[in-house]
Amino acid sequence: MNFASKFDVFWELFIVQGGWKRVLSVGLVNTLLIAVLGLLIGIVLGTLIGAVKVMPKYKLLPKILDKICTVYVGFFRGTPIVVQLLIGYYVLWPLLGITISPLNTSIIIFGLNSAAYVSEIMRGGILSIDPGQMEAGRALGLSYSTTMIKIVIPQAIKNILPTLGNEFIALIKDTSVVSFVAATDLYKTFTEIGNVRYEYFMPYLAMAVMYMILVFLISCGIKAMERSLRKSDKN
Amino acid sequence: MIKIKNLCKSFGDNQVLNNITETIHQGDKVVVIGPSGSGKSTFLRCLNCMEDPTSGSIFFDGEDLADLRVDINKHRQNIGMVFQQFNLFNNKTVLENITLAPVHLKKMTAAEAKVRGIELLQRVGLEDKADVYPSTLSGGQKQRVAIVRALAMNPKVMLFDEPTSALDPEMVGEVLDVMKQLAKEGMTMVVVTHEMGFAREVGNRIFFMDEGQITEQGTPEEVFGNPQSPRLKDFLSKVIV
Repeated sequence: MNFASKFDVFWELFIVQGGWKRVLSVGLVNTLLIAVLGLLIGIVLGTLIGAVKVMPKYKLLPKILDKICTVYVGFFRGTPIVVQLLIGYYVLWPLLGITISPLNTSIIIFGLNSAAYVSEIMRGGILSIDPGQMEAGRALGLSYSTTMIKIVIPQAIKNILPTLGNEFIALIKDTSVVSFVAATDLYKTFTEIGNVRYEYFMPYLAMAVMYMILVFLISCGIKAMERSLRKSDKN
Repeated sequence: MIKIKNLCKSFGDNQVLNNITETIHQGDKVVVIGPSGSGKSTFLRCLNCMEDPTSGSIFFDGEDLADLRVDINKHRQNIGMVFQQFNLFNNKTVLENITLAPVHLKKMTAAEAKVRGIELLQRVGLEDKADVYPSTLSGGQKQRVAIVRALAMNPKVMLFDEPTSALDPEMVGEVLDVMKQLAKEGMTMVVVTHEMGFAREVGNRIFFMDEGQITEQGTPEEVFGNPQSPRLKDFLSKVIV
């Protein structure tokens, strides 16, 4: 092994020939796009599923919704994300007769996948709120859903923000499989650099460092958020 | 005003309320006393169906609240409730706590609700706390805000579920004062409490509950001055020092 020559090759391709531009402007941007939009879809959908899960189940409709949600969560937690991507891109879209770009497919599938995990986080968050909050809302004549939306869920979200941050980190790392459906992310752009001279040693090392820096920055963000939340609890 | 007919409530095999029939009239100040586990709180919570009765009826405004087809949310707007644990909305300021329901339920505009909220806060001496969050308030202040929150809906009757039981002793007075004031203004009230002094002073009817029934009732003079059943005598001898 000749580290110096491997490094020289990488330096030539990445810096001198400007390979870094594509890594950042396409690879990094897409990775972040998939993770951020995926998490947003996950939070919206996951909150709905979480709310269904904690609904009182005297009536038929909540019971049916609950069953649907259980199957949904079971599927998305019970199969690998790669399988979900492949099923979406190569099975579901053709069946529905629609064409969705690899990037958008990845965003949708990561959103649906993340919703399954966020719903469990949200369910726990909602259950952690004192039932007295719901009682007080109901006693004033507010409906169950109004009290849930205005009182309980905002407090639950505040409590689970740090956990959602961890979900975001998990999403960032998981996006490295989207090349299975030909989406271009960080992994793909570094591989492209490797492909030029069939020399992958440095590109993959640099990729690992890049993911680590990304996750490190997000963890710092989460910690800062936790600190400010603790502060606002005291006031 | 509230007619209770053959009210029963069970939690599983445990029968908590046993066939209660009673009428609460306009302007009544009913104070419910009794040993713990006698069903006082459950009785109170059945009046606005926070607990659904197992059987029996609660007639309010001519409708049976125990009937699941009745729009309970509509009736709860006219039945204020104050909890032992205050249950102020932690994510809302004091004023938002008060104005949320009247505005959302279209009883008032935001501006009207704000004026009314401030006015009510002034009455309980907390107008300077309008924009703070509940976590910064003392227990007594929280409970006064909770009373104001219920009053903002202009209810026809107020239910109090042990409103002073979670308070430090020195804060009990400020909450009872607000309740006395309310009673003087003619509000119909049903109060579950262990404050016998309050019961004697404010109540016009005292219900003594034991084992899921109202076993004895009357004016404070009758109940405190001339208790009939051994159980009530025993209870009073323990709570009145």
